[in-house]
Amino acid sequence: MNPRRSLATRSGGLLVLSVLIGLLLLLAISMRVFGITASMSLDEMRGAIQAAPDYGAILLVNALIGVSMMLMIYELRWDALRVILTVAVALVFGYLMTAFFNLDAANRLSSGEFRVNVVSDVGPLVDIYYGDRPSGEFTGPDADEPLTEASYRFAGSAGDVLTIMAFAEEEDSPLDLQLTLLGPDGEAVAENLDASDEQRQEYRRQLESPGDAILENIELPADGVYTIVVRPEPQSEVQVGEFNVRLDTDAPSPIDFTYNQPIGAVFNAPNVDNPLTEASYRFLGRADDRVSVLAYVFRSNIEVDLQVELIGPDGSVLGQANDSTEEQRATFRGLLQRETDAALEGVRLPEDGIYTVRARPEPVGFGTKLSETVKATNKAYNAFLFGPLSRLNRWVTWIKDAITLIMLGLAIAIVFRAEQFSLGAEGQLYFGALVSGVIGLSFGEIPKPVLVPLALLSAATAGFLWGLLPGALKAYLGANELVSTLMLNTIAMRFYEMVLTFELQPPNAGYTASDWIPDNGLLAPIIDVSGDQVTIAVFILILIVLFAWVLIRRTPIGYEIRMIGANIKFANYGGVNTKRTIMLAMAISGAVAGLAGAHLALGIHRKLILNISLGMAFEGVVVALLARNNPLVVPFTGLLYSYLRVGAQFMERDANVSSEVVRIIQAVVILLITAEALVTFVQRRRRVRRDRLSSDIQPSERLMAAPPQPPA
Amino acid sequence: MTLIQAIDIVKVYPNGVLANDHVNLSVNQGEIHALVGENGAGKTTLMKVLYGLEHPTSGEIRLRDEPVTIHSPQDAIDLGIGMVHQNFMLVNSFTIAQNIVLGREPTNGRRLRVDFEQAIKDTEALSRQYGLYVDPLARVDTVPVGMRQRVEILKALYRGAEILILDEPTAVLTPRETEDLFDAIRQLVNAGKTVIFITHKLREVMAISDRVTVMRDARTVGTVNTAETSEAELARMMVGREVFMVVDRPPVQRGRPVLEVKNLTYINENGRTLLDNASFRVYESEILGIAGVEGNGQTELVEVLTGLLPATSGEAYVDGVPVLGAGPRRVREARVAHIPEDRLTNGVALTATINDNLIVDRYYRPPYTNSGLLNLEQIRLSGENLIRQFNILAPSGELPVASLSGGNMQKVVVARELSASPRLLIAAQPTRGVDIGAIEYIHQQLIDQRTNGLAILLVSADLQEVMKLSDRIMVMYNGQIVGIFRNTPDLSEETLGLYMLGAQRQSPEEMEQLQ
Ligand SMILES: Nc1ncnc2c1ncn2[C@@H]1O[C@H](COP(=O)(O)OP(=O)(O)OP(=O)(O)O)[C@@H](O)[C@H]1O
Ligand SMILES: [Mg+2]
Repeated sequence: MNPRRSLATRSGGLLVLSVLIGLLLLLAISMRVFGITASMSLDEMRGAIQAAPDYGAILLVNALIGVSMMLMIYELRWDALRVILTVAVALVFGYLMTAFFNLDAANRLSSGEFRVNVVSDVGPLVDIYYGDRPSGEFTGPDADEPLTEASYRFAGSAGDVLTIMAFAEEEDSPLDLQLTLLGPDGEAVAENLDASDEQRQEYRRQLESPGDAILENIELPADGVYTIVVRPEPQSEVQVGEFNVRLDTDAPSPIDFTYNQPIGAVFNAPNVDNPLTEASYRFLGRADDRVSVLAYVFRSNIEVDLQVELIGPDGSVLGQANDSTEEQRATFRGLLQRETDAALEGVRLPEDGIYTVRARPEPVGFGTKLSETVKATNKAYNAFLFGPLSRLNRWVTWIKDAITLIMLGLAIAIVFRAEQFSLGAEGQLYFGALVSGVIGLSFGEIPKPVLVPLALLSAATAGFLWGLLPGALKAYLGANELVSTLMLNTIAMRFYEMVLTFELQPPNAGYTASDWIPDNGLLAPIIDVSGDQVTIAVFILILIVLFAWVLIRRTPIGYEIRMIGANIKFANYGGVNTKRTIMLAMAISGAVAGLAGAHLALGIHRKLILNISLGMAFEGVVVALLARNNPLVVPFTGLLYSYLRVGAQFMERDANVSSEVVRIIQAVVILLITAEALVTFVQRRRRVRRDRLSSDIQPSERLMAAPPQPPA
Repeated sequence: MTLIQAIDIVKVYPNGVLANDHVNLSVNQGEIHALVGENGAGKTTLMKVLYGLEHPTSGEIRLRDEPVTIHSPQDAIDLGIGMVHQNFMLVNSFTIAQNIVLGREPTNGRRLRVDFEQAIKDTEALSRQYGLYVDPLARVDTVPVGMRQRVEILKALYRGAEILILDEPTAVLTPRETEDLFDAIRQLVNAGKTVIFITHKLREVMAISDRVTVMRDARTVGTVNTAETSEAELARMMVGREVFMVVDRPPVQRGRPVLEVKNLTYINENGRTLLDNASFRVYESEILGIAGVEGNGQTELVEVLTGLLPATSGEAYVDGVPVLGAGPRRVREARVAHIPEDRLTNGVALTATINDNLIVDRYYRPPYTNSGLLNLEQIRLSGENLIRQFNILAPSGELPVASLSGGNMQKVVVARELSASPRLLIAAQPTRGVDIGAIEYIHQQLIDQRTNGLAILLVSADLQEVMKLSDRIMVMYNGQIVGIFRNTPDLSEETLGLYMLGAQRQSPEEMEQLQ
């Protein structure tokens, strides 16, 4: 032949490379799940591994993951790069999406509940405010902690009209109360012993006892701190009893809080019409008092960055603070916790009067906004990318999910090889789950080594038959397999539901599900992380992969399946029984899907539940397409795809990414992956068409007429 | 004057095959330029580069001495380059006029509706102008191959093609249709067009071209004036050795009948009788050729006999075993091999590997399948053997057939069928699209196997091929067998022609004598 060069097919180098990458993967995953770091000593590493339950089996499964990667690279060669690239692009895209939804991440720096406090050694200057209703109990002079008189300070403004009441807790109490209001100068402004009958009539809900007192419509003469004094009348026989005080007015309180009494609100609360962006609180200050003004958050999940200002009675700003120092946090332990809390320390008040504390979130710059967005996105993505490996039980979740997905991917890969667009895996899965579940439920007394294989075999048979049906419809009646399998899916699903509801559901169960399948019917666990189990399904899966691979590549039936997939007319011309092959391809695929159903019933849910497939059969299509319908590549793509599915769940759980966002990201990933698979598919199609159209071939249409005569 | 020039074109396909290696082609204004070369020499690739279907790895295309870049067929059309592929790209359910104006429909005034009247007029005018007869109102799927080809040419002309590339246009044509095509090409050139023409038939090169460019092994060997060369010299340039176009058919005594066909009738689903009560026998050590204008039942005869079509009535026996009614597997089990007339539909699976294509009739038997498993090693080995033996240009048997050149695909089919050690070979157009070297080889194989006892039923559009190879010749007309002849030197094409056109027929007794 002539000296044309061609690329080498498979080389030893490729094998070495793929083994190396597979090993790396094994190492990386194992280190993560066992929590091993490079800085550990060998003994520590061994300790970390042995601390995990069933660590041997975990290592084995990780090794299998490595093998799946190796197979993928070895089988797909350059295409492997494209698979990885697609996923990488999808992830970058997903990252941008996540970032988009985290654009408001900096909001947490300007929203949330906060407290403002004016700390002073003096202690509170007032006890109550307009509208307050304090209460207490006189215990008499002989009690351990005698209370014979109660006084309440409050800040009042000149001209405000107040009504003050003191009344016994109980109706018709013998307690006879005396109520005095002292002015800022300490002189009594007003005093009352007993309410008049009219007053008792007017305030009958409060003034229920004859001894209750009231000061009605008192106009305050000056600004300042007034004191309400309440005591039993000294002459009265009864000196003990519960009492209430009310300070009622229509006027606004001149102050909002006082020394050492925190006050607060929520900045920029979400879903509020007029969110609070700045808060001002007044307090009464006295000349020469030393105060420290603090603004701080007191819940650990709130991160608003605060700023505080102190404004004097004349309106001048006496001081401002944005942050707090470490010493300040030590001084005001229990109040200040973060650097972002604001502390204005040691201010000497210049005069008596009403001061204002103004607090607001510190303005957030663009740089901060950006870095906050990046930080939040990174956090979410970290959960997405490493979530499945962050804890052993999550790793188990991943592996369990992947096993089902790989089985379904294999089922789809087999029919797609024959270019039969069957989507029947869903229905076959339901039948597999049903049949295996029923067998597990009803023959619990048969020993496990007999019962489990029996259940699996029956599930495979059920799936086989449910695949044979559309195959026969296609082969003999030309029924489009896409339509017929979708119909049959619905039938299978409804049948499953019917049997479950009317036959299997225990009569007193609150929701539609069967009893637990007895232990003899369950797949035996090989890894058990506090109840989360990976079962021998792993080994069953290996057998199925080998079966699918041998079937497709090494058996005459597989050859027939490949040939009807490549060109069914050619297969027919060559003597292949195309009808039988169509049926077999769909039926064998059905058997595998049936096993996936059995895995869901006997390995994952351990009972039959409604909606047992969760629509996974269709995701099997993505897995198969991504693997280019190659059974040896399906394990890897299944693991990968499932990793993304499970990771998204954990992103939702760990990071504050809403489930909708997670679903969007998941969809984008699926879309890109599918698009990539489609691109390859379309490219192949196009190449074929181009070759067809430009090679030197005669058209398939046969001619019917004799050659025409040219016009004369 | 040089019209179009390809300079130092290099084309490496993604799988690493170097299909064009610094190829140069220079075509003059108004000439008919033939392009010849062995299968896989890179002719189609070069034309695809000119037409924008493939992008050259390096090199330059010049049109009227101006460098041009051609990214897509649209660019090529805009530059006045048209290409007619062997596999037509027509919409079967449209009329010819609709096909010709497709994408450039004339509209009436408001640009909303296609002016079909105008389309028909345009088609008729164009058709008359270049002497390319078509029926504008006929649906494409009802007209013969020759007319479809003219539709393709008219389509290119309607789009303003000045340079027309025809890739093996005559491979599917009967000699008569070929003559008509050549007349049309000459008219085109008279009207100022330029034609590039690929063929494997040197006779045609000598008959019509002004100059010939020969390609070999991805390179151009040279360009010569047709008037100053000969078939033999061209063959030598192409192959690099002497080619013996004449095969020697040693006389042998024919043996027992292998195929016996009795009253075979096939009526299609539209009720047309396409095969009418055909009875004949093919014997050991005999080649029975079928002559006839295409479309007279040859295709149906072959497809019914090979199990691809169900017979309406009648029987066929191979070595006394009835073979009809159970599909192709039964026929093949009776050791019948079949080279199908349309290799892309039946003969190969493009996306499957060459090796897989070579075992479709035998994969389930030892040594290809042992105890239920395919023997991949054996499959690879026998694939390699056939690739070597039949000189299939492929770097490896593990590559898809789609990456082969047209002629090499045909060789894959021939290799498979001839290696099946059949009792009967049904060969339809066995040398369609293959180069002269391969024709020589295939012919030699057919004769050798026939000499060793094989019975061959040969169908070919090329009457000369039939006459060269056959021991007996059977003429079909309108689905019927109208004459059987012993292929003696005094049997002339003219005699056969009379029968082929239905002007004469033998009586059943006469035919029975020659069975
Ligand atoms: N799509 C493709 N991918 C890879 N290789 C290709 C492709 N098409 C053609 N080839 C290779 O390029 C070479 C030249 O092919 P090309 O089709 O140009 O040959 P050709 O001269 O037209 O042959 P023929 O006379 O058989 O039609 C062949 O070796 C063929 O195998
Ligand atoms: Mg070609």
